[in-house]
This record gives sequence, structure tokens and C-alpha cells, in this order.
Amino acid sequence: MQTAGCSLTAQQPINNVVRVTIQALAAVLGGTQSLHTNALDETLALPTEDSARIALRTQQIVAEESGVANSIDPLAGSYFVESLTDRLEQEAQATIRRIDQIGGIVPAIEQGFPQREIAEASYLYQKQVDDGDKIVVGVNRFTEGDTMKAPLLKIGPEVETGQVARLRSVRASRDRPRHARALEALHGVARTRENLMPAILEAVRSYASVGEICGTLEKVFGTYREGRVQL
Amino acid sequence: MNSVRKVRLLVGKVGLDGHDRGAKIIARALRDAGFEVVYTGLHQTPDMVVATAIQEDVDGIGLSLLSGAHNTIFPKLLRLLAEKNSADIVVFGGGIIPEEDVPGLRKAGVRMIFTPGTTTREVIDWVTANVPPRRR
Repeated sequence: MQTAGCSLTAQQPINNVVRVTIQALAAVLGGTQSLHTNALDETLALPTEDSARIALRTQQIVAEESGVANSIDPLAGSYFVESLTDRLEQEAQATIRRIDQIGGIVPAIEQGFPQREIAEASYLYQKQVDDGDKIVVGVNRFTEGDTMKAPLLKIGPEVETGQVARLRSVRASRDRPRHARALEALHGVARTRENLMPAILEAVRSYASVGEICGTLEKVFGTYREGRVQL
Repeated sequence: MNSVRKVRLLVGKVGLDGHDRGAKIIARALRDAGFEVVYTGLHQTPDMVVATAIQEDVDGIGLSLLSGAHNTIFPKLLRLLAEKNSADIVVFGGGIIPEEDVPGLRKAGVRMIFTPGTTTREVIDWVTANVPPRRR
């Protein structure tokens, strides 16, 4: 489970800690088995070390201080939660039936069905925000005091040049025959129904780059290209 | 005969960034506002965007960038447009773009950068005022 990126706001960004906390708590109450909490500055940049740590501390406070983890299912028996769960299930079943009618998820994606559903929902959400029908604190209500600024992570061009240099030196120093054999073997396995993982691991051990491994697989599988999207 | 033709726009996603929620909302809002809109789909290159823009004969290009690559991609797009004698196509954009990068992008020829919190109305109003149909 990941907290919702689209609920974060660039305005008054420190408020995002509160949003993430509520969503993290909801996830735990819902019995999630894995949880990723977003950092408060993710609408503005990649997270800083500090903001990533606050996201981690949010989980730790929910886990260790709130007490919700003391019960396997704290909301068990809640009429309201159960009724919402039933509704969600019914609506999910209806969507699955529609996908089945199209012929399965692959044709559905090719015809743009899930893409359209997602685009439609996000458009309606944005319209409600723009029209003020849906309140977003600090964006369309309670906007005064937008002076909170989050310190942002800057990634300079030296990161790219440094990585290029590292890759060059790895390429120059690796065992070339072993590397070539590993990629060739990977290519061979990709054309069968065999497990790819051992061949990928051997490629990694022979210092093949992620780009080389993906490129080898791409020769066999191709690349998904989103066509021009009908809106 | 109606001599005023509709303004045509291209909304594009360039690079590896897969965040298309905003681009699709903007494309849809512009279409609903009466513009003809082409949305490129994900993972385009600047060359692909320019080729589509020329093929579709658009008046404006709006790029959505949430990857941090805006300082590379916008100048490249503008250069390619100039090379194809299409520098009169209005280029604007939005996404996660730090305020301090905006003046540089504006200087490079990006006419407007919309940052988070912009309403669809603000984008529509700006496009209406600033993207005229190109003379042909």
C-alpha cells in the first residue's frame, strides 16, 4: 500500500505530513501487509533525507505509539466500514465483469478502457477541486499563511557525469567474455518459458548494466508503447 | 463559412517519467474548453513531439514534466522547432518545476510554466489569450 501522491499539495507542504498520517492509519486499520508513506515534499521534488525520515517516523508512530497495531482488526464489526467494504466489492466486481466482456485485461488496455476510467476519475476530481465542491486545505480553502516552505533536494548535473564515469570504468574492467556469454544466455532463456531470474543474476554478476539487461529482454519482448490516447 | 478555425494543441509527455495524471486532466480540460487537443501518450522524445506537432499542424505545445529533466528537454524541443521553421508554435509547460528554474526556461523561450495548484481554468484562460492560430 502506498499513500496517495495525488492527495499531496505543493501549497503549505508541511500539512502533507498530516495527510500521510491519516492515510497510513487507514491502511493499517484496513489490515495492510506493506506500507509506503510518501514524503511531504514529493509534489515539489525528490524527497530530502529529512523528509524521507519523517515519512518513516510517521509509520513508526502509527506502529509503536498509536496502539492500532495491538489488535489484528481494530474496526472489526463496524457497520459503516463493513458497508463500505461491501460497496467497494460490488463496484470492483462490476468493473471486472466489464473487463471480462471486453475479453480480458490485455485487450482492455489495448482499447484504453482502464486508462479512460482513471483519466475520467482524475478529471472529475480536479473539476470538483477547481469548482470548490471538494475542499483541499491550503489549495482552495484556508489558503492564508502559505509561507511554509520545505527545503528541497537539488540534484546537479555532476550526478549524471559521475554515473557515466562509473559505468565507463565498470565496462572497461569487467570480464568481457563472461559478460557476453551471460547476455547471450539471457537472450536464449527469454525466448523460452523458463525462469529468467538465474540468467538475470548471472548477467548482474558479470557486471551487465540494467540498461544492457533490459535491452536484451527488449529484443525478445519488445516495448509497450502507449499510443496516442483518445481523451 | 467560418473563417476562424479552432486552435490546435499538443499535450506531451517526454522522457521516462510516467506521471500522466496532470497531462491528461489538462488535455481533457482544454478539449472541453473548445480546443482541438492531441495527447501524445507517455515516453516521447523531443523529436517525436516535434514530428507530431508538425504533422498535426498544432498552434501550441504543452509539455508535462515531473522528472526533473525540464532544463534539458524544453531547450531541446525549442531548438528542434526552430530547425523545422516552426518556432512560432507556442511552447508552454507544467509539472514539478522549481520556481528558481522558471526564469531560465522563460528566457529560453518557454512562454509559460504552470506549477502545482494551477486550476484548469487558469490554463484555459492563458491558452485562450496567448496561443493564436498560426498563419498558414
